[in-house]
Amino acid sequence: MDVTLEKKLQGFQLVAQEKAILCSIPGKKELILEPELIKPLEHVCTASWLKLKGIQRIYKLDTKQRLHRDDDQVHIYMIRSLLGTLQTLLRQLQPLTLATPTESPDLALRMVHIICVPSCYAYFHALLEQAGLWGLVQLHHYNWDFIYLDQGVLSLELPNLYECLYLQGNTSALPSVAQSLRLLQMICGKPMLTLTFGSHAGQLVQLMQSLGTVPEPTNPADFGAWLIIDRDKDYASSLLTPAIYAGLLLEVFQLRAGEIVIDNANNKIRSQKLQLLQGKSDLKPNTGKLNSIRLNSACDEIYGDNRYKHFAQASSLVRAQVKSLSLELQKLNDMQLEEMHDYVARKLPKLTELKAKVLRHINASEIVIQMLGNFRRLQTLEEDILNNVSRKRLLTEIDELLTTDGQRYNTLRLLCLLHLCAGVAPEELQSLARNYCNMFGHRELCVFQQLAQAGLLPVLLPERKTSAKLLSNLPLPKFQQTEFQANANRLKLLTSCADADQPAPSTSAAAAAATGHAAKQSCPSFVFNGTYIPLAAQLCSILLNANSAEQLANKLAMIDGLQLHEAGGQPSTPKSFATQLKTPDILPLRLRNLFVFVVGGANYAEIAACDLVARLTGTQITVASDALLAGSDLIAAAFNN
Amino acid sequence: MILMESQFDNTDENYWNRSSRAAFSFDDEDDIDLGDVGARISSGPANQNDKWDNNAIFNDDTISEASFDNSAALGTLNHLSIKAILSDEALKLVLQEQSLDDHVMPKGVTPEEELKLMRRQIQSTLYSPNLEATAQKLQHGKVAPLELFKSLLEKQQLLDTLLANGGDAVIGVLLFLKRTLNTNQFHSILQQRPKALEHYLSYLNQSGDISLYIEMLQRFGRHQEAALRQFQAALACTDVVTRKQQLKRLVDAYATAGVGIIPLYEQVFHAALKLQLVKEKETITSGLSQQLSDQPTPIELLYVCCAQNKNWKEQDMLKLTSPQRFAADQEISSAQYEWTALNERAHAQAYGDLECIFVRAPTWHSLKSKKFHISFDLALAVQRLFELQAPSTVLQLFLSKMNNSTEKLALAQRVKCVKAVIDAMVSMKQQQELQQLKETLPDRSEEQFYCENALKSLQSKRWTTDNIKLKL
Repeated sequence: MDVTLEKKLQGFQLVAQEKAILCSIPGKKELILEPELIKPLEHVCTASWLKLKGIQRIYKLDTKQRLHRDDDQVHIYMIRSLLGTLQTLLRQLQPLTLATPTESPDLALRMVHIICVPSCYAYFHALLEQAGLWGLVQLHHYNWDFIYLDQGVLSLELPNLYECLYLQGNTSALPSVAQSLRLLQMICGKPMLTLTFGSHAGQLVQLMQSLGTVPEPTNPADFGAWLIIDRDKDYASSLLTPAIYAGLLLEVFQLRAGEIVIDNANNKIRSQKLQLLQGKSDLKPNTGKLNSIRLNSACDEIYGDNRYKHFAQASSLVRAQVKSLSLELQKLNDMQLEEMHDYVARKLPKLTELKAKVLRHINASEIVIQMLGNFRRLQTLEEDILNNVSRKRLLTEIDELLTTDGQRYNTLRLLCLLHLCAGVAPEELQSLARNYCNMFGHRELCVFQQLAQAGLLPVLLPERKTSAKLLSNLPLPKFQQTEFQANANRLKLLTSCADADQPAPSTSAAAAAATGHAAKQSCPSFVFNGTYIPLAAQLCSILLNANSAEQLANKLAMIDGLQLHEAGGQPSTPKSFATQLKTPDILPLRLRNLFVFVVGGANYAEIAACDLVARLTGTQITVASDALLAGSDLIAAAFNN
Repeated sequence: MILMESQFDNTDENYWNRSSRAAFSFDDEDDIDLGDVGARISSGPANQNDKWDNNAIFNDDTISEASFDNSAALGTLNHLSIKAILSDEALKLVLQEQSLDDHVMPKGVTPEEELKLMRRQIQSTLYSPNLEATAQKLQHGKVAPLELFKSLLEKQQLLDTLLANGGDAVIGVLLFLKRTLNTNQFHSILQQRPKALEHYLSYLNQSGDISLYIEMLQRFGRHQEAALRQFQAALACTDVVTRKQQLKRLVDAYATAGVGIIPLYEQVFHAALKLQLVKEKETITSGLSQQLSDQPTPIELLYVCCAQNKNWKEQDMLKLTSPQRFAADQEISSAQYEWTALNERAHAQAYGDLECIFVRAPTWHSLKSKKFHISFDLALAVQRLFELQAPSTVLQLFLSKMNNSTEKLALAQRVKCVKAVIDAMVSMKQQQELQQLKETLPDRSEEQFYCENALKSLQSKRWTTDNIKLKL
């Protein structure tokens, strides 16, 4: 039987179940879960499955209180591989050392187990020893690998990878990612060509190689090429506000393992603002049950139909659907009794279910509209930042936004975008940062250093009190391009800069919408209202359209940090790749499907743009990442320290 | 005893919150959770709708283990076996990598093989360390003995091999080096390898050992980051007295350390200390306390100051909590000051004070006549006042300051301020529109009179040639 690609990707769940360490621990088991693990775990197994494997009860991990354990019970803790969490847990387990030692000779018969997701770092064992718990507590690791969230979307659900890699320079989590990618190779075959962009991407390929050869898959290979891209090579697509439905849902609602919760009182935008300055807020905190939407087209056809559409289009389609549904339901009134019977039995349940779904989407999109407020102003601002139009005004406008509509993450996000596209000078940052600290508290001062670490803001340098100070302070005009601009120009990512000369299209809404619609048909930049093509999508279309290695090399020349890896070969730059290539040329790709992995969090704009490229070229592009992040989530990572 | 209360808001995970004192047990077949499921399966239309809300799979006890109940896509997995996607060999490999140590002797090996294995193990524990094998083991996440790496060169080689690819083993090896080398040697290794230093610092940071973390930052010349950390640690003190002491010490040390000063840091350190002193001297209490966090931000405190301020005509600049003084001390920008005061006053419905905030004499020349001045877009002020339900006279006051009549008209219409609409139409000489507007206004209302007067004034000015031509 031929297994389709989608089936194989869904099959990760089976492998995750097969790997589940829970099963091999004997005894009367109770499972204690870190709360954040619950949602992703639901994608791996069901409660009945856990019961089948001998789990009798499930608890949430409480960091303040230890769970009582009867003598014959086995406690299995499941936590993320975070040093802090492990330390807290070990402290909680200290009383174990006081009990009379009843050490069992068999490793497997320990009464307390800790499973670290996705990996148990080597130094965790040393900590266990230091805490005096060696021999009493057994450490394990468990990696559920890729979770299939939606058609064409995979996630490892590792929420803190971005922070570790890009803000702290800590690569501890990379091996587990490499292992998951390796598992993908076992299932879907090795690609002929892997393109990496960025240092972590390169490291991942190296790690995969050092993990050893991969057994041949049972099925023919699926992917012609892999693209592994570091998040910091395309910050813009995370920082820009997306214009598509799925992207905007993520801007406003919290995402957990492919599911958003429609909580208006605590939505992502509202909670970013100072409560005192929110204007009239007659919102009562939600007491009732909250609705949620699963971002999976197979279980929510309305989401499936609209996920990558322009928001305006999507919300009007949803509205239209409500109308037609209520018309359909009204038909009931005009029916004969027999007809009615049939209708109630067959159609009605489906219709009511559909109606509930549609209403949920209506509700969500209304909150989005309400929260984004003056969306057009924001988009014009972002477009001007992208194209570096009247730089001075941009700073003042960001400052004004901070004052009158200050959002903890989104305001900084605009500033980061400005730095990326036009470069913010340290002196310019100074006054804005000062106002920011007034608004959100002095304790947020560290954020600016954190963001500088990630290259999102300029590094502040100490002033030396010397005479040279005067000279260096002279404002010299700089015409230097930022790295982002250089690469964006080389890869032709900026699509709206040429339009800038046309008579102000942004002033007339109709004109903007019209051009937007025209672009929508053919250009992946539709995800940002025609201003920017996400890097991943552009690389995909370059790869799919290249007819020879030389052509590819020409397109990708001059881009620093981009490397090509032929199956089993050494990494090389596109140029040397083209010259070294033995015949026959592996381009054009014979297997047309691509796999994209973003190191440090993908976003829905990227995914939607890739989806369009795939549809235009008649291929399939699967986008995977360690997590799905909106721009504000990315900035929020800098606040964790 | 049973720990179900969550610090997270998991209101949607209905099952967790159903009872704060009971864990979910599979034995309680009559439990509500399962009751729900049962009802759902009997497929009444109402319950069908609930399907979505109940999609926490832990509720679900009725379906095949391999799939979600509510996922059509995954439902098909029932027919998919793991063998179809993964070869036996690959599956074996995956499961093997799942275990943390491979010391366990595989069952059923011949004595000869066992001897070979033992020999290899002795080789690797007694004699020269095998760099490649150890590195690979570590990268697989397995436990490998490091004690054999005794010479400095071997230690460095091991670290460098691991650094190239990254991974948690870097920290593991660094901790081993720290244990087996003296401080000087360890630090010189870190000094030469910035990436290793990053890993070590990240480890210290995550482990919560702040003092060692700050010490390391300073040792490696990263004084600015160290100062930031100290600042953060000082603010995190719950005790007000120690917080103040630590801030004071930091401010002094930062100015005199001779490692260079970042103006932003210096300003914020100072401002934080000042804020502490203000809080000490003047008790800022208010009915807003439930809306404030434990450590309110300067703007939030400014808001409280505004709420408490009695005299807006002439603020007492000697009083630390008079809004203007507070804003000056905290270097709050004029835009931020005006916006906060606008919001607070409008919220308190003390619209009369707004004039004191926006109409003032230039500070450098008190004899100059007072002027209306606003530090942000007027339209935003009008919009916000409208949201706060300010009366239309107040809106009109602000709208009257707008220069661009077209924008003014649009905004006035948006905030339903009829008089400002009329003003704007007058300035644009939209006689016909005015006439139309007049007819929609209620008879004998104030607005209608205003409109009539406006029309009259427009007609009386009918001396331009255009108008004459039109009318004749």
